[in-house]
This record gives sequence, structure tokens and C-alpha cells, in this order.
Amino acid sequence: MGILLFLTVLLVAACGLIYELIAGTIASYLIGDSVFQFSTVIGTYMFAMGLGSALSRYLNRGLIQRFIWIELMLGVVGGFSSALLMLAFAFTQGFQLVLYVLVVVTGILVGLEIPLLMRIVQDRYTFRDAVAHVLTFDYLGALGASLLFPILLVPHLGLVRSALFFGLVNAGVALWSTYLFAPQLMEKRSLRAACFVVLSLLCVGIAKAKLITITAEDNIYADEIIFARDTKYQHIVLTRFKDDLRLFLNSHLQFSSRDEYRYHETLIHPGLAAIPVPRTVLVLGGGDGLAVREILKYPQVEKITLVDLDPEMTKLFSTQTMLTELNQRAFESPRLHVINADAFPWIDQSSENFDFIVIDFPDPTNYALGKLYTTAFYRAVARHLGAQGFMVVQSTSPMFARDSFWCIAETLHQAGLRTFPYHVYVPSFGEWGFVLAGSHDYIPPKSIPAGLRFLNQEGIPLLFQFPPDMARLPMPANQLNTQVLVRTYENDWKDISH
Amino acid sequence: MRFSRRKFLRTSSAALIGLSLKSERQIQGSFVNEAAATGHLLRDRKSFPPPKQTAKVPVVIVGGGIAGLSAAWRLRKQGLRDFVLLEMNAQAGGNARSGENEITAYPWAAHYVPVPGRQAIYVRELFEDLGVLKGGHWEERYLVFAPQERLFLYGRWQDGIEPAVGLTQADKEQFQRLEESFAKYRATGAFTVPLEVGYSRKFAELDRLSFADWLKSQGFNSQLLNWYMNYACRDDYGALTQDTSAWAGIHYFSSREAEEKGPITWPEGNGWITKRLLERVGENVRTDQMVHRIVTTSHGARVFAGDIEYQTEFVIFAAPTFLAPYVIDDFRPLKDFVYSPWLTANLTLEQIPDSRGADPAWDTVFLDSPTLGYVDATHQSLQTHVDRTVWTFYWALVDGTPAQNRQSLLENSWDYWKEAILRDLEKVHKDIRRCVSRIDIMRMGHAMIRPTPGAIFSEQRDRLKRRDGRILFANSDLSAISIFEEAQFHGVEAAQGVLHRLRGTR
Repeated sequence: MGILLFLTVLLVAACGLIYELIAGTIASYLIGDSVFQFSTVIGTYMFAMGLGSALSRYLNRGLIQRFIWIELMLGVVGGFSSALLMLAFAFTQGFQLVLYVLVVVTGILVGLEIPLLMRIVQDRYTFRDAVAHVLTFDYLGALGASLLFPILLVPHLGLVRSALFFGLVNAGVALWSTYLFAPQLMEKRSLRAACFVVLSLLCVGIAKAKLITITAEDNIYADEIIFARDTKYQHIVLTRFKDDLRLFLNSHLQFSSRDEYRYHETLIHPGLAAIPVPRTVLVLGGGDGLAVREILKYPQVEKITLVDLDPEMTKLFSTQTMLTELNQRAFESPRLHVINADAFPWIDQSSENFDFIVIDFPDPTNYALGKLYTTAFYRAVARHLGAQGFMVVQSTSPMFARDSFWCIAETLHQAGLRTFPYHVYVPSFGEWGFVLAGSHDYIPPKSIPAGLRFLNQEGIPLLFQFPPDMARLPMPANQLNTQVLVRTYENDWKDISH
Repeated sequence: MRFSRRKFLRTSSAALIGLSLKSERQIQGSFVNEAAATGHLLRDRKSFPPPKQTAKVPVVIVGGGIAGLSAAWRLRKQGLRDFVLLEMNAQAGGNARSGENEITAYPWAAHYVPVPGRQAIYVRELFEDLGVLKGGHWEERYLVFAPQERLFLYGRWQDGIEPAVGLTQADKEQFQRLEESFAKYRATGAFTVPLEVGYSRKFAELDRLSFADWLKSQGFNSQLLNWYMNYACRDDYGALTQDTSAWAGIHYFSSREAEEKGPITWPEGNGWITKRLLERVGENVRTDQMVHRIVTTSHGARVFAGDIEYQTEFVIFAAPTFLAPYVIDDFRPLKDFVYSPWLTANLTLEQIPDSRGADPAWDTVFLDSPTLGYVDATHQSLQTHVDRTVWTFYWALVDGTPAQNRQSLLENSWDYWKEAILRDLEKVHKDIRRCVSRIDIMRMGHAMIRPTPGAIFSEQRDRLKRRDGRILFANSDLSAISIFEEAQFHGVEAAQGVLHRLRGTR
């Protein structure tokens, strides 16, 4: 009987900690500011546990029966806590109220458990042993739960099902207690009936968990956030909605998996296919490996050098399954060399030449990024361009940021290059623009790799035609000492949002 | 594993909560590049040991600041390699010295050169040599990056240093009228850089009154306008308008074209020019060589430095001229040479301090401060991501006499100045103490010549500028304006003079 009793303590303790972790996690996940959420949730929870312990003194008779009822209540409240919180956030204004009420109720119930259990075992053990045994298993349970939670539960069960699963554990403990303490119990039958009701309720919950999650998340975000990380350099967020995977860097959309092929095929093939024998390619930015995926379609290319500032970015896109599927395991190619470095100083110290250079940086939203769109930068890059080579520059939208687009084209021009601007429609972005630049004339390619989803050979010359509403505007070049582009870009997008 | 348990617990628990430790940092640092002790040996006329060896060399340059290095540059460019340049400090460069740590190079004093106008032919020639000016175009990466300057006033930021917010109609009219007045002086062509090109007695009467008196006489009483004029004089002359010649005050604003872009700068400030000049003339430079005596002879001079006596035909005296009476035998005392005391500090920042939402700028100034603000050494970096930096903090001590301020520089401890600097910065950057790990301070008792009233049109200067003896003077203090272009001008002119006479007499 002893070991079974203490196993009960262990399970009960694990459940208690799981509910606390779930509340903290959901609050940080939905509201953000994890330090604040975890601190207040843990604090409130501990305080409520104290309340529970204090209240335990008023329970005098039928301790075991009361314990079983507490377990059943916990099974329901804790088990459905996750689902309730998600739905509360999605459909009500009172998420925080629900959160703290739930935390207080769960805390009080959990706070009642250990004092009750201690009193239940007090006849069998000395006070000294009872305290030692009960607390030992209490803490062991907590350890187990805290390890299970991040390693197994959240990744494999998800938050809604994890809570329900531990609700089942609570209800299971209740049912089991009716047998464990059978001799001291009356009305066993009705207690057991209640246990079965709760257990089946929770089972239904588990069966419908997916529905609950989807219903809630449909209302929470347009997309589900599947990855969010603050690296040393940027805030990376990856979202997924059905088959649409989206990458945001510092909250700017980088691609949507539904239409990124339009962007990346158009970024690479008009330039690269026009070079007679491309052997070496440089990609600046583009840590998602999607441009590299397109470049790998050229068997003549012997070496691709990818320079991206953020090692976390290249690591993410070389390890995360959904992402490596998207870039077709580009990072595993022996032809690819990844360098994590700041592009401008890197190109300055490099002694290599390249037949094709892809410049795919985030838009010039600040002065730091603005440096990578200057005549000084393009001159530095052009020094590494082979005689027959081209470089292509991601140049923001000629439709929404028309001034900026033509400013970039003019900057390349004043850096001493011949420029060939073109554009494409990418549904998730809108009209998007690129500038091809080199020291000689551009002749559209005679052939392009087979199996492209968007581009065909006949379509390429059409990309270079600009309708009047996107036509060239006279703009000054962007220089390090003026940084006109950053201000232009800011104004362009301000005009759109107003 | 030298990782104490306590430290482990502290870091691991901090990591667990996801908080970084936000306690105040221990700030390291010291006084650096101290020159007072050596310099005072001259002042106190200590006796020096007799020379152990003699060396014969046609030309000796005394002083390795921009004037001396420019003289050396010109001599070598004209094919004269047989000369020595004697520098008393461990590092050449003078006011164009720089330092470097694992984050960046940074200046110790002068940190930019305005884009030189057409009249500054020597500067343009040098910049063509150094690749700063190529085919009539200024190298983009040497022009200061945008955003350039910001001024903190009334609890907010503005672009540029000339106050543009909180101006009354009267303020605006005065700024406008003053600009028109400067434009008129500019149009006369008498105010030029280098000063020598337009030097004309026509405006000599402006040199007899102070800039403050001139402003008052012209009815300029706007407080913001006077703050800005004082700021300009503190920045370029280390003096208040009341201690600056009106001619020099007007020169500051009337000597350059209004539409110029720039200035030209590098992470290490003018230390970059010093490095490039040393690449060209370094083999002639001897550092840690304090010249303690110069005696002119019938066909040359004897220069005593350390235990060597140099027997030479010509001396280019490029060190500050105030040293001449202590070094050169029978040199008449100087009276029109007043020098401003300064301190500069380099602050190593482990994280970028909070700037109340402002974009980072190259030069930052606070309206409400006795200091000149600071320059960010990594502003001119090509990196897109900078998480540590060095700020160079400038402070010209202008209240009180230069002698009092020199005394204060010498007497007060590093801790005193460190606190003064942090308190100044704290007014705007609340978290500065959490960001700074090191503050090195350089004290300069005679940092720069001060154009006091009467200094520009001084007979003494006119005589020294003739350069007709065996000792040719070359320091920027001959112009009474301590800027790069003046130092370079006098250095090159002195070299030209020496070359002319060497080749003429041979």
C-alpha cells in the first residue's frame, strides 16, 4: 500500500505542475512578454496553493472522499484549462480574467491535495516520515513533469491535449483511490460513477482536441506561429496555415511557401540562364536557401557561396524538416559554401570573382540596411563580378514603393553598371521588382532549366516591360552620406498605409 | 574550469529566468598619452645630459603632428629622403592621433576634415595621394555616413547642431540675418582655408574685438544663436565667443562654401591620415625623442634630442610654437599665443546605450552641457550589425582662464573626470553606466591654439611666417587656428621653403 500511496503523490504533484506550466506557456504564447507572464502565473498559483493549504484545516470529516472529489474537480478544471484559455482568448475580451481565475481555482485545489494526503497517511507513519515521504514524491513528480512538458508533451501532444491528458491522470487517481482506500470508503459506487463521467468527458475532449485548437487558432491568428526566436541579429517568426508556410524577419514578410517559387524563379533564372557558362555564384542574404535551390538547377555551377549574417537563420533552414522540404535540402549540397558574415565587410576583404551575384537583402527599412543599397556597396560588389557576369538585386516593389525601386536602379547605374530592371507579380507580396546589372548588354536566355513552375523562356522578355503606373521616375542615387533611400522607402510605404 | 560556483549559480539562474544581469558595470580606465611630465622638464629648464653621439642630416623636423608629417610628406615627394622627424611622444600624430581596441579604431582628438574647397590645393593633393579624391569625386566611404549630427534639446532630438526647434520669430530673424552677414564676408574672399590665401588687412579691425562684442554690436542677442556661436567657438577654438577674435568667429562660418557635403571622416578620425602619412614617411620618424635644445649656427643648427646631437642645415619647427622659447636659444618670449586646455575620453560600450528612440548619429551634442558631446567611432563602419562601440567624448575647458583649467586637469583624479563625463551623458542616456566598460581619458594642457582678439593679425606671427631663418616654423598655431588644413599648409610651405633654399644654395 505504501508505495502505491506515494505513487499517487507523485502523479498528483506532476499534474499540479503541468497545469501551472500550461497556464504560463499559453499566456506567454498568446500575449508575449514571457518573463512577466511566467512570473505572475507562478506567483498567483503559489499564492492560491497557500490558500488551499490554509483551507485544508476546515476539512475534517471524510478526508478520502473529499480527496477523490478534489481530484475529479482538478481533472475537469485542469484538463480543460488549455482549451478554455485558447477559446477565451479567441472569443472573449476577458482572457486575463479567465487566466487568473483558472490559476487561482487550480492552485487552491492543488494546495488542498498535499495537506489532505499527509493527514490521510498520518495514522500509518510518524509525522517525521510522513513529511519526508510525501514531500519527496511531491518534488519528484514536479521534476518529472517539468522534464516531460517541454520534451514530450508540447511537441507531441500540444497544449490542449497535454492538459486533457493530465486531467485523465487526476481522474484516474480519483478512480484508483476508490480502490486503494476501499475499506475506509462508503458510497463507493456513486464515487466511481462520477469518476467514469469525468474520464469520459476528458476522453471526448481529447478526441475533439484538434477541433478545439483549430477553432481557437482560426480566431487567434490568421496563421499558426510554429517558430519564433530572437537571434542576435533579428526576430525570426515562422507561421503556418494549412499548406502555407511564411517567414517573417523583424515582422516583415520574407516569403509565403504558396508563391515563393514565383519570386525565386524570377530572381534567379532571367540572369543566371543568360550567362554562357556560369561556374561560381555568390548569394548575399538569402539564408532561407530558396535562391540556392534555384541555382542548384544549373549543373555547370560548381560553387555557390552563400553569405548570410545570421547563423541561426541558415541553421534553421538546414535542419527544420518543413523548411528543408521547401528548399529541397539545398544546404546539403556539396556545391554550397555557407559563410555567416556581414556582407559589406565580407565582400571588401574577399578576393574571389563570381559569374553571378544575387543580392537578396531585406528592404531598406533602416540606416543599417540602407548601407547595403548604396553606390559604395554596389561598386564593391561589382569588383567581384566576372566579365560576362550579372548581378541581380531584390529591389522592393515598383508598385507600392515606386520611388524606392527606381532609386535602387539609379544607384546601380551610378555605380557604373548597366541596369535592366524587371518585375513579377507575387500574390503574397504584390508586384515585386528586381534589377539585373552588369557591364554589358543583356540578352534574354535561349533556354532555362526544365520543370519551373512559373517562368518559361517566352515569358522572360515580358518581365522587363513596365506599365505606366510603375514606369521609371527620376531619382537620385543612394549614397552612404545621404541615405536617401531609407527616407524614400519610409515615405513610399507611409503613402500606402494612409 | 575557473568558474566559481557562485558565478555559475548566478549566470545559470539568470539564464533560467531569461533575464540578463543588469547591475552597474565595473568601469576600468586611466589617463592615457600623458605628456605633461616630459613637457614640464622643458618648462622647468631641467638640465639634460650632454650628447653621446652626433649625426649629420640636412633637415630636422621637430614635432610629428600633422604639420611635421606633412612637411616630411612633401620632402619625400620632392625626392629628399635624407632627414629625420623627431617626435617627443611614443606615437606620432599629435592632435591626429588615434587608438584601437577589439571593437574599433577611434580618434584621440581631431576626427574629421571638411571637404576641402578649391583653394586648399595641398589638402586636395594629399587626398588624391591617399585615394580620398579620385577623378574629381570624393570616395563615398570616407564621407560621413547619414545620419550625421543630432542635438538634444528640450527633451527631444533634432537633426543637425544648429538649433531648429523652439525658436521664436526673433530667433529665426537673427539666424537669418547672421547668415546673410556671413555670406557677405564669404563673398569678399578674405576668409579662406587655408587662411593665408585670403589673408588681408582689410578686415583687421575685426581682429581687435571679441566675437561676443561683435555679435552684441550687431544686435544679435538671441540666446539660442549665442549658444550656437559659443558651441562653434568651443568646438574649433576651445574658447567662448568672449575670448575669441571676431575675425576668427566670422572665419569659422564664412570660410567654407555653404553647400558642401561631408565632412570627410574615418572610424579613427584624422588618425587615418596619420597612419597613411606614416606609411609614406615612417622610416624618417623617430618617436620618444624630445628635442630639448636648438642652437642656430652660421650655416645651420644644432638640435639636441636625448643623447644625440643633430647637425643640420635647416630645422622645420612643427611642434607647438609655445615650446620655442624653452628650446631655442635666444628666442624672444611669445605674447600672442594662448592655448586652450582640453580633455578627450574614449568610452568602450558593451551595448548601445538607449537614445530615447533616436536613430544613431555620427556626432551627438546636448544643448544643456558644458561639453562638446561625442562621436561614435563605429558610425563609419560598413557593418550592418553593430552591438558594441566606442564613443569619443570631447570637452574643451572654457570657463575660467586656461591656466586655471590646466591646473584643474592636473589636480583632479581620473575618477573625478569619469564621474563628470558619465553625469553629462546620463542626462540623455539613462543606462550609460550599464553599457560602459572602460573610459580612457587624455588630458591636454595645450591642446590647441586659441584665436584671441589680436592673434590673427599679430606682428609676431607675421615674422614667424616669413620662414627666412635657419629655423622654419610650421605649426598650425602660426594661423592662430588649430585645424588640419592650417597645419598641413604650414608644414608643406616650410618644406617647400627648405627645398628651395637647399637646392638654391647647392
